[in-house]
Amino acid sequence: MTEIVLKGISISKGIAIGFPFYLAPQDEMVPEQAILSMEVESEIARYRSALFSSRLELEELQKTLLHEGSADGVAILDAHLEMLKDPLMTTEMEQKIRERQRNTESVFQKTISEYQNRFISLKDSFFQERVKDIIDVSKRILGHLSPHRKIDLQKLPPGSILFVVELIPSMVAEADPGQVSGIVTQTGGISSHAAIIARAKGIPYIAGIEIEKHRGIACQGMILDGDQGLVIINPTEETQEKYRQMILKAEDFHKVLAGQYASKAETIDGFSIELFGNVESVEDIDLLRKQGAAGIGLFRSEYLFLAKKSFPTEEEQYIAYRKIVEKIPKKPVIIRVFDIGGDKKGDLPASMGWKTPTFFAHESNPVLGCRAIRFLLQYEELFEKQLRALFRASPFGNIQILLPMVSDIAEIRATRRLIAKIRNNLLEEKIPIKKQIPIGCMIEVPSSAIMCDAVCQEVDFLSIGTNDLIQYVLAADRSNPTVSSLYSSAHPSILRLLHHVVSVAERRKKELILCGEMAADAKFIPLLLGLGIRKFSMAARHIPEVKHFIRNIRLMDACSIAEQAFRILSCEDLQKYLDHLSMRQYS
Amino acid sequence: MKRPSEKEKSMRIIHTLKVKNDLGLHTRPATVIVRILQSFRSAVYFTYQRETVNARSIMSILMLAVGKNCSLTITVEGEDAESVLKELVSAFETKFGEKK
Repeated sequence: MTEIVLKGISISKGIAIGFPFYLAPQDEMVPEQAILSMEVESEIARYRSALFSSRLELEELQKTLLHEGSADGVAILDAHLEMLKDPLMTTEMEQKIRERQRNTESVFQKTISEYQNRFISLKDSFFQERVKDIIDVSKRILGHLSPHRKIDLQKLPPGSILFVVELIPSMVAEADPGQVSGIVTQTGGISSHAAIIARAKGIPYIAGIEIEKHRGIACQGMILDGDQGLVIINPTEETQEKYRQMILKAEDFHKVLAGQYASKAETIDGFSIELFGNVESVEDIDLLRKQGAAGIGLFRSEYLFLAKKSFPTEEEQYIAYRKIVEKIPKKPVIIRVFDIGGDKKGDLPASMGWKTPTFFAHESNPVLGCRAIRFLLQYEELFEKQLRALFRASPFGNIQILLPMVSDIAEIRATRRLIAKIRNNLLEEKIPIKKQIPIGCMIEVPSSAIMCDAVCQEVDFLSIGTNDLIQYVLAADRSNPTVSSLYSSAHPSILRLLHHVVSVAERRKKELILCGEMAADAKFIPLLLGLGIRKFSMAARHIPEVKHFIRNIRLMDACSIAEQAFRILSCEDLQKYLDHLSMRQYS
Repeated sequence: MKRPSEKEKSMRIIHTLKVKNDLGLHTRPATVIVRILQSFRSAVYFTYQRETVNARSIMSILMLAVGKNCSLTITVEGEDAESVLKELVSAFETKFGEKK
């Protein structure tokens, strides 16, 4: 057996040793199942969401064809797009799900085969051929209805390394790190939601590997090196030993870190720093508490419902929020309202249960489009439900509300007005709510960073979201391989902008927290401390490591590091400076 | 704002025309038709060989399998019926932009 090394893109770090498990898209009929009448609406929502995802996929494909100059292809896909809107596919299909009360897939497949038969019975062979388009479209929809229905990830043998062409977020969300030790995909970028979840779960993940091509290779074992983006098939004894040593070393380090769970995040010269956790689900909170986090710095509320099939009702949200704050009593819980829309709509099956299948308009530039607060203010009814749920949960803990993607204070004022209305309504309904609920603004759009003086006068606290801020300031998409090198947290412009925000917040006496991946990168910690940031929020698994670094640094040294860094004018030089520092510090 | 009169609201037009393009109402013309209708409000039906379908459904149009020189009856009901018919007739006349 020769060792084969494949180089992909590192999406989530870590090392996995195990056996590959190929997840193939399947073709067979989905068995019919009766559903309860109470499940009908959620089945329909699921169907709408499949139509919606198919639409996005087709539009994407069409763009590629247009780029390649294939006018015919574009026209065919136009027809496919129209089929997704066809009343036979929309209202009639929904009607059938309601009448028959069977699972969507079985109703769908039966209906499609009825149409197929009608086409086949046509006398004209030219028109008979048209059935192919319908089969094509229906396969696409089915793929979105149950992309992984048949494989229960919980049943994989322990230590499986999942090989799949495309990963959907809920698949990672459901994966148990005990079963799925690593993930390899063909498509997918570093900032996809699937990637974020994989990192949060600590599952090593490598993208950019051709799945089908390597399927046939006889494999007696595999190592996934998430740090370097390597897939090593049939590793030699020597390679195996090297990685075993690396794992042991990492485990030792973790033991050291675990020993510090109870100790404070305090610099050598006695300044205490607060470390909060980014949380995606209620389960994450247990880990946070164990590591002695200061609270929840970022609860991404949209993830609560990712695995669910319909849009959350006010009641469901209330129960969820209450559960969260009760799990971490007294400590601050910053809940970010739904950051959906824009490029985050494909992940939201649930949202399609809302009103119409054309809920999200097509956007040619979704990252700059209608998402987060923009979206919520447009669909106020939805926003109101979430705010009501948050207020109702407020007496049970220390909830703080965070507004994402704010680009102008008008958005904060509009939210304040809505909040005032909700507060009055709840008081009239005699529902207990907390008197003071801090409202915060995400600083992730450059305009808010620049105008943060004005923002401070409207809110109680600020939260810097570095991931989006960097992408907007540098106009570089980090998931786009050709420009991802331009996306760098170590750009002097970022440093200066952070400095501006921090000093304004200090002057205005507003609390400030930094979340985003920069907070979890030990290399940046001295710099950020030196800038004056005292609160950080990061995925729970990073907390021990960051705490360890904080405990080994002097705040006074951090300040001189920041001063030094401020004089550096190019990204490359700043990068070098920081690398040099971390080498010196940790070797 | 001009509100439609009762008469306009209940407007119903029936019109029969011939399919002129070589391939008949295949995928592309059907796409053109449903797209035209998306900017109107009227209910539109195609009747061919005693079968009537919703003209907003691309699949239904295809299943009618209307070939060249076939006669198709269009029924339009609604306030903008006249404009709908005008647009549709023009699309059929110009063979949906196809050469033959």
